[in-house]
Amino acid sequence: MTITVDVDAEHIAQRIASTIDPVFTMIDGWRDAFERELEGPFAGALTGEGEQTASTLDPVVAALVSPELERDDALITGAGFVAAPGFLADAPWHLAWWLSGSNTFGAGPDPRLRRLEAVSDPDSEQFRDYTTLEWWRVPARTGTRHLTGPYVDYLCTDDYTVTITTPVRVGGEMAGLVGTDLYVARLEQVLLPVIREAGHPCTLVNASGRIVASTDARRATGALLRIDGLAEALTPLRDAVTATDAASLPGGEAVVPCGDTSLALVLEA
Amino acid sequence: MPQATGRADATRAVVFSPLDGAGRAELVEQRLTDAIVSGVLRDGERLPSESELARSLGVAVVTAREALVALRNKGLVHTRRGRDGGSFVTHDRDASMRMVDERVRALSRSELRDLSLLYAAIAGTAAEVAADRASEDDLASLVEIDARADLTTPGGARRAVGRFQLEIAAVSQSPRLVHEELRMQAEAGPLLWLCLREQDSRDRSRTARLEVIQAIREVQPERARRATTQHIASAVEWLIDEKVRLEQASLVEAHEASAAATPEGGRP
Repeated sequence: MTITVDVDAEHIAQRIASTIDPVFTMIDGWRDAFERELEGPFAGALTGEGEQTASTLDPVVAALVSPELERDDALITGAGFVAAPGFLADAPWHLAWWLSGSNTFGAGPDPRLRRLEAVSDPDSEQFRDYTTLEWWRVPARTGTRHLTGPYVDYLCTDDYTVTITTPVRVGGEMAGLVGTDLYVARLEQVLLPVIREAGHPCTLVNASGRIVASTDARRATGALLRIDGLAEALTPLRDAVTATDAASLPGGEAVVPCGDTSLALVLEA
Repeated sequence: MPQATGRADATRAVVFSPLDGAGRAELVEQRLTDAIVSGVLRDGERLPSESELARSLGVAVVTAREALVALRNKGLVHTRRGRDGGSFVTHDRDASMRMVDERVRALSRSELRDLSLLYAAIAGTAAEVAADRASEDDLASLVEIDARADLTTPGGARRAVGRFQLEIAAVSQSPRLVHEELRMQAEAGPLLWLCLREQDSRDRSRTARLEVIQAIREVQPERARRATTQHIASAVEWLIDEKVRLEQASLVEAHEASAAATPEGGRP
């Protein structure tokens, strides 16, 4: 069945995609920088020859992410590199993650750019195998970028967050991933004006049908949008298939994927 | 970046979350004492250093040091010098029991009920909202927490309850409920979940957990709230019964002591 979605809806879906695209482009750039550093003619240009270690790689991560985190109007609040277990010679488990000054978690009275303290000793009680978490698990399975959330990041920053991660590959193997955190509150500020332009009720949801923002004030961010057929319509987004076709639901709503963000715009009937 | 940063064990993590209020050295001491005697911190476990403690709790280093000295004097930690040195938890079961008993006796019934009422408000609302907002993945992680629960020890059961309640709060998608849940776990948890000393209570806490999971699976917010608040209510009833038992026991002791001090026919 062919669905006619008005051009406006497609246009708005595109604008949502282009609001988030700079973030994607940014982490894709980090990924490329890493892959160049780890393999090929320029391997070791920044870290030197020999095995990769946390101590040589960390400054490279810091140099990549710090300028982006320190930008005045930055959408992102945290960013970094997470190593695949066993990839680094001196640190079997390793997170090189930086938090911006807008992130007040554990920052003390004067929050500024700082490194996130992580427990990377697997024998510690507080150690957590990060390869079981969605932001690792999904991109590791699909081999491509994934948007996790909105979710309450209670084990890290205590905030309502979206995390975007993408794999870094060396010799066909996943060496780790680069990624970034965004506050949902900030995202809502940026996205609401865009979806309002639709001129009629619409709701932006993630691939699980969780509401990110809506023109309908009664549709709460974080709630699941419960509409017949929505879960099925979102399946391609969950499977990281690049879905660009709009779908229509039994109740007359239209579901328009927002580029390759894995978000979708739901236009009410 | 979620869940990878040393807060994997929620009940344990709250022990080192920032403190507010006055009398901070006593608060640090109380929180660590609660964690040690309830088995959240394990025997032989190494505590963070003075400066790490100070940073995570948001207190001065001298305050953290003071608290560690007090814990040492109570026999709850011992300090080793040298490269592998530090403060280590010493869990003496009998001493722990005595300390918890004292704490239960020190609070009035109305204070205990009030504490549990606030906790039920937080946890009940979290469960209610979670039932409406849980995705399939959320449900899977709740089931996973239940499956990994160790019900054979009080500490294991406490950790399972803590992790589960925290996950419920996270599933509700509310950072504030998560924050309050953590705060209440530190403040009310050590008392409220004393009932998990008994196998019977541990089994009941599992039943309550399964009921909440079922309510969430079937998207029944009211049922999820009810199961949660009833679980908390039964925990506080156990606690108050325990308090009555302790008070009666000490009355009997006092009576016997005074009887011994004035033996029959001792009067002139």
